[in-house]
Amino acid sequence: MRKTFNIGLIAFAILTYLTLIGLPTRLAGATQPVLAVLLALFVYAVLRGPARETGMGLGQLLQHGLLIGLVAGLLLVVEVGFFNSLLGDGVKIQPVFDQIVPLNMAAMLNVRAGTVLNGEVSPIAYAILALYLALAGVAGGLLVHFTRSGAAGSMRGVHIPGTRWFTILLPFALFAFIYYLGLDGVTTFGNDKNIIRLLLVLMATGSGLFALRAAHAGLEQLIIGALLAVVLLCLPFVLNQFQNSVMNIVFIFVMMGLGLNIVVGYAGLLDLGYVAFFAIGAYVYAFVSAPFSSPYISALLTGMGISPQSPLLGYWSAIPLAMLTAAIGGVLLGIPVLRLRGDYLAIVTLGFGEIIRLFMLNLGDLTNGPRGLLQIAQPTLFGVAPAALTTHLDAQGWIFLLAILGSAVVAFVAIRLNDSRLGRAWVAMREDEDVAQATGIHLVQTKLLAFAIGATFAGLAGQLYAARQVNIFPENFSLFVSIDALALIIVGGMGSIPGVVLGALALKGLPEVLRGVDEYRIVTFAVLLIVMMIVRPEGILPSARRRRELHSEDAELPVDEDEQLEGGHA
Amino acid sequence: MLTLENIHTYYDRIHALKGISLTVEQGEIVTLIGSNGAGKTTTLNTISGILTPKEGTVYLEGERIDHLPAHTVTHRGVVQSPEGRKIFARLTVQENLEMGAFNRNDTDGIASDYERVLSLFPRLRERLKQAGGTLSGGEQQMLAMGRAMMARPRILLLDEPSMGLAPILVEQIFQIILEINSQGTTILLVEQNAQAALQVAHRGYVMETGTIRLSGEAKTLLEDPQVVEAYLGF
Repeated sequence: MRKTFNIGLIAFAILTYLTLIGLPTRLAGATQPVLAVLLALFVYAVLRGPARETGMGLGQLLQHGLLIGLVAGLLLVVEVGFFNSLLGDGVKIQPVFDQIVPLNMAAMLNVRAGTVLNGEVSPIAYAILALYLALAGVAGGLLVHFTRSGAAGSMRGVHIPGTRWFTILLPFALFAFIYYLGLDGVTTFGNDKNIIRLLLVLMATGSGLFALRAAHAGLEQLIIGALLAVVLLCLPFVLNQFQNSVMNIVFIFVMMGLGLNIVVGYAGLLDLGYVAFFAIGAYVYAFVSAPFSSPYISALLTGMGISPQSPLLGYWSAIPLAMLTAAIGGVLLGIPVLRLRGDYLAIVTLGFGEIIRLFMLNLGDLTNGPRGLLQIAQPTLFGVAPAALTTHLDAQGWIFLLAILGSAVVAFVAIRLNDSRLGRAWVAMREDEDVAQATGIHLVQTKLLAFAIGATFAGLAGQLYAARQVNIFPENFSLFVSIDALALIIVGGMGSIPGVVLGALALKGLPEVLRGVDEYRIVTFAVLLIVMMIVRPEGILPSARRRRELHSEDAELPVDEDEQLEGGHA
Repeated sequence: MLTLENIHTYYDRIHALKGISLTVEQGEIVTLIGSNGAGKTTTLNTISGILTPKEGTVYLEGERIDHLPAHTVTHRGVVQSPEGRKIFARLTVQENLEMGAFNRNDTDGIASDYERVLSLFPRLRERLKQAGGTLSGGEQQMLAMGRAMMARPRILLLDEPSMGLAPILVEQIFQIILEINSQGTTILLVEQNAQAALQVAHRGYVMETGTIRLSGEAKTLLEDPQVVEAYLGF
């Protein structure tokens, strides 16, 4: 009980943090539901482990959840009440906590800002907030109960029929709700509808991964996978421009993450300059589709009697070129670093990424330097812009659709590679280069292939990114792109394909939902990453092998759920 | 079967092997004994292609194999079980064994060798799904040898199989070496445990600071006063 109380204190600290960074101001009317969902997820995360180990019953789970919710809720009410009394007295808190303003507090209590300013908040508003959070705690406990027999029945103890189906049906229910929210005339959540809907899309896509995992391998998994794919492919038509633009960047990063996953996750080569290949893909497509924006190329073409005004290659015919150029880049990076391992490799690749960016910045004639390459052509469908075919698909949605398809192709290739001889060789090389060599693995070839294939995927993603951005500049390809790609693999689970998707959703999608508190997101992610590395170093959805590496005490467990998952994908 | 002629191998400027010549005949167990730093492992690494000799030649059944990269040497049936039980610690026992057959395509042959290895090392069968790194020292050594056997070597290079093992396990390992040999695999065995090695081997070479000091029948070496004094420690 004391431990549960302490967890409640931690929950309160997190809620306080979110308040101090002004999240309620941003979420306005949706504050209470969002905070409740966050708290429920938190309760779920902390109770899941203990429930699994001790076989806690439903009653106990609810009790613990309620206690956490009550502690967090009541303390939050006291805190908000304290701030409100200060604000009501006209005390300026802003110099200390710049986000503690009436608007923020009002959003928290779901009342109007004027009420706070006049100090007229009724006790009922406070009671509702506390009730919301207490219920959220209970919901978190319920969630633990409902999911524990869900995931492939791997949890010890209670097996409740039907709960597996809860996990499987959840994404579909969410997608249906998203569709409903998008209908004209539905005004639920008011002004915040767009943000909430985006959050729901992220959650639905993520829960789709868990649904796939909960499905039995074989026909059931195939059917559910196919249904999920259909729903996902419908999304670009249903979402608005803003939501599509967030989701397409998420899936561009899925493509990139899958590529980096090959280099880092499979082959164990820590590459911090991965953005270089992304940049190469983007610039190659920019050169061929908008030759006029590069002074050198347009002069060259004019000299040859070709007009630089029209694209040299269309989007689809440029794909092989972008991929090939990126692959060559991968090999060029690979050759000098063949003998390097670990830290040294990381430093050299880091340098390589920067070199490519500096090239883009300083080869003014070719790349137009910091002024960038402009008016890059949009992908077409057999020569027709999709906007001309349907009014339901905007430009960003079209890119989103292509990103989903690209991710699917890349994921398929990655899965097949993982199961291939080459995949085996990568794993062996990651484990021990000397022994790998002794078992007859050609190290040079294996390493270069990892770099080249990883780079190819990044090139593909870069090309789509260039089309998405229309105008690209060297600063689009900073070190942070590499860091993001690496972080999403680590969060999701190194070496795991569902993990990459989940990581991209969390790291590229969530920050967009929290746009209003943007300046805190780096700090938030730093904390998140540190906590992750301590609590769950193998990532959220790790590959079976990775889990074994980091939790050797579980090593005797025979086949684990993820192995089934990956087998099912293949 | 395997012949080394006047091999000189360097680590940068350090002259590690100073003209090693030795032969291993088909079906033999030949042991290479000597103290720390004598160049035993360097000799094995030179044969398996991890190191390239600066001078001299290595012949496998009349064909030169020095200057071939390590993975192609494995293709030709020269398989090394590295020193210090170097297994893939995070792969399962089964995956480790499968990695041994990396260069083979004959599914049936692999399956039969897999069974053979598991019958040679029954302990491994009990631990197939366990990560290699969680095995005991003796089991890891068995795994390293089993993995090498999965490549169906014509000549097996064993580097210090008894290192760091309890005496009872050492005895077991040497029993298995004899068994592998009796099934037709030629073995070049590097050992510090000279006594045990000479007892199972047909012939032996005694190395000292990069040169071959003595060679001969294992039985003769066991009784050679110089060997007894320097390596057997009576």
